[in-house]
Amino acid sequence: MKSTIQRDTDVTTLRIEGELDALSAPILRPTIDTIIGDNPKLVVVDVSALRMIDSSGVGAIVSLYKRLRASGGSVRLDGLGGQPLAVFRVLKLDRVFNVG
Amino acid sequence: MRVVSASCKVFATGSVRMAPQAFQDEVVSALGEAFNNTVIHAYRGRDDGRVTIEIEPRTDVLEIRVIDDGTSFDPASIPDPVLGDLPESGMGLFIIRSFMDEVLYRSGPPNVLLLRKSLLTPPLLGSTPAPPADR
Repeated sequence: MKSTIQRDTDVTTLRIEGELDALSAPILRPTIDTIIGDNPKLVVVDVSALRMIDSSGVGAIVSLYKRLRASGGSVRLDGLGGQPLAVFRVLKLDRVFNVG
Repeated sequence: MRVVSASCKVFATGSVRMAPQAFQDEVVSALGEAFNNTVIHAYRGRDDGRVTIEIEPRTDVLEIRVIDDGTSFDPASIPDPVLGDLPESGMGLFIIRSFMDEVLYRSGPPNVLLLRKSLLTPPLLGSTPAPPADR
């Protein structure tokens, strides 16, 4: 898993590549903490290069969504497809993130 | 996991009911959760432990057995998560149950989690092209 952050005025883009799973999700958590600390209005999570996700990875993204929403911000998922989309759909998160 | 992915693709190639990619996505998702549950729960507090994964293609059905010597559990005692509450954990068994046609568990030792998925069952939720692999 590789993650990168790009900050603009009101939008922060978090790009996640590779596999977000039980091993790599804890590594992403400090990055999420950093993003939340910046208090952005919108976080775009670019998962177009995310090849695989498991429930731990989903939990990390849901955590970002809930924490940002609690502070008045919002999250948008871009590029969800393949196996990650199948998992988001089965957990009915495609409706939450308005994707797929 | 790559071996399982490849096995799924080969097994499902030619299926008229289910696209090989959708079959692979769902089986790999379920097996990943099963493996995680074994490592995290069955072997909790242990530095090492063996997990054996057996894959057996049968006519129109792929059968996978996840075998461990750790602490057993009762799957029936684990409720489905309340998805509307946006849980951040406790979704693994739900994903397994959702994506596989049959999930059976036999307490051991060894514990055996049996997963079956038929090629004759349409994909649960469809699928879209996968993103490119890591460069």
